[in-house]
Amino acid sequence: MEWDVVLESFPLIWKGASKTLSLFAWSLVAGTVLGLAVALMKLSSAKTLIWSATLFSWLFRGIPLLILLFYAFFALPEVGWLLSGFWAAVLGLSLWTAAYQAEVIRSGIIAVDQGQTEASDALGMTRSHSMRRIIIPQSIRIMVPPFTSNATTLLKQTSLATLVTVPEMTLLTQRIFSNNFKFIEPIFVLAMIYLAMTTVLIIGQLIVERTFRLRT
Amino acid sequence: MSPNVLVNVSGLHKSFGDAEVLRGMDFEVERGEVVAIIGPSGSGKTTMLRCVNLLERPSAGRIEVDGRILCEEQADGSMSFASKTEIRAVREHVGMVFQRFNLFPHFTAVENVIEAPMAVRGMKRADAQARALELLESVGLAHKADSYPLQLSGGQQQRVAIARALAMDPALMLFDEVTSSVDPELAGEILLVMKRLAQDGMTMLVVTHEMGFAAEVADRVLFIDHGLIVEEGPAQEVLGKPKHERTRSFLRAVLERAPMVEEEADDDAQASTL
Repeated sequence: MEWDVVLESFPLIWKGASKTLSLFAWSLVAGTVLGLAVALMKLSSAKTLIWSATLFSWLFRGIPLLILLFYAFFALPEVGWLLSGFWAAVLGLSLWTAAYQAEVIRSGIIAVDQGQTEASDALGMTRSHSMRRIIIPQSIRIMVPPFTSNATTLLKQTSLATLVTVPEMTLLTQRIFSNNFKFIEPIFVLAMIYLAMTTVLIIGQLIVERTFRLRT
Repeated sequence: MSPNVLVNVSGLHKSFGDAEVLRGMDFEVERGEVVAIIGPSGSGKTTMLRCVNLLERPSAGRIEVDGRILCEEQADGSMSFASKTEIRAVREHVGMVFQRFNLFPHFTAVENVIEAPMAVRGMKRADAQARALELLESVGLAHKADSYPLQLSGGQQQRVAIARALAMDPALMLFDEVTSSVDPELAGEILLVMKRLAQDGMTMLVVTHEMGFAAEVADRVLFIDHGLIVEEGPAQEVLGKPKHERTRSFLRAVLERAPMVEEEADDDAQASTL
């Protein structure tokens, strides 16, 4: 491995970091909000809500992410919905990650002791109040580790946006290949940047876990 | 129904799948009365208590609390339940204390007590806080106001749970085996709080294994077995000179730790003699 090539490649690839991170941030926020909605639908008592949520999870967990991105980028314009590569990628990534976040959120909510809901009910609280103040804050502690693993997976999967022309880090790395036929160094740089980013997420997990731990 | 009656339950049935846990119960609780519910494990006493604030939905029967009908049977035999809003309105005035405390572990003691008055009653934080500190004081825990539940002993947690229920100014308090998950030496501090509450005139429905408490504090005792009220009456009578063999055998088992004698008689036959 030639270190001067490593040093040359780094700034070229790093230019794509902001695209990678904004793909990640948009999809994580949209996917989590949608995932929360799907989770609450699954936990509701209305049959239609349960069924549509189940259908959603089944679809978006069952179809490869790459195919979702192709759909958003190549197929939606055919029905008159033209999205840029970036927003097509955000759409695909959000739907895909929402299906997984929904399961994390649902299992976190179920894991909170039933007695908490009963105590809230017995005090006359509305369900939405007890969800917001009692159940969800406690389920966050349970959700943090699987949530973080979803987030790290999402961060890495943003690299697929390359295939719908988003100039994020992986696409810029490929450009280096085609310019100077160097492979080892750019790939190494790319891998190290992803590793650094996921490391930040994992450190974030430890901090959040510490914040939400129960005082004993 | 006399205006003095706070709880009126009739024909209460509850099944979980094929298991019929409550098989037709009728009882009343008057204002200011302390009623102890005793009976062997699995007899249905907890389920019966949980029906009173509809934490458990009866399969059949009628429940009226403080003049509001929570559920009743329709002419076609189906059950009709009060609306969510009406149920909440009743629960607002019915405090419940659970066997496993069910305090909110992410809130301090005082935060546990103020949450419902603020959320349900719309009380201002400062007022709720002042009232909560009074209540914590009355259960001997003013100095633990800022402790989290897991930093407290079982007895202390349960007293916070009582304060939390009292913060809603309940007309009725339901106690579900509230000393069963604390160490025996800590049960006394909980029972003392309950006894004082009874002396202050609180209406209480108490599922308990503490026969001493029942004898001393309860006005009336219901003995439950296999989903039926087998015997009821003034505490001294039911506990002192029980009429039914089933009650005698239960009391022997509890008080002398003698094994309980299983009756041969079929339960339906027994029910018809009541």
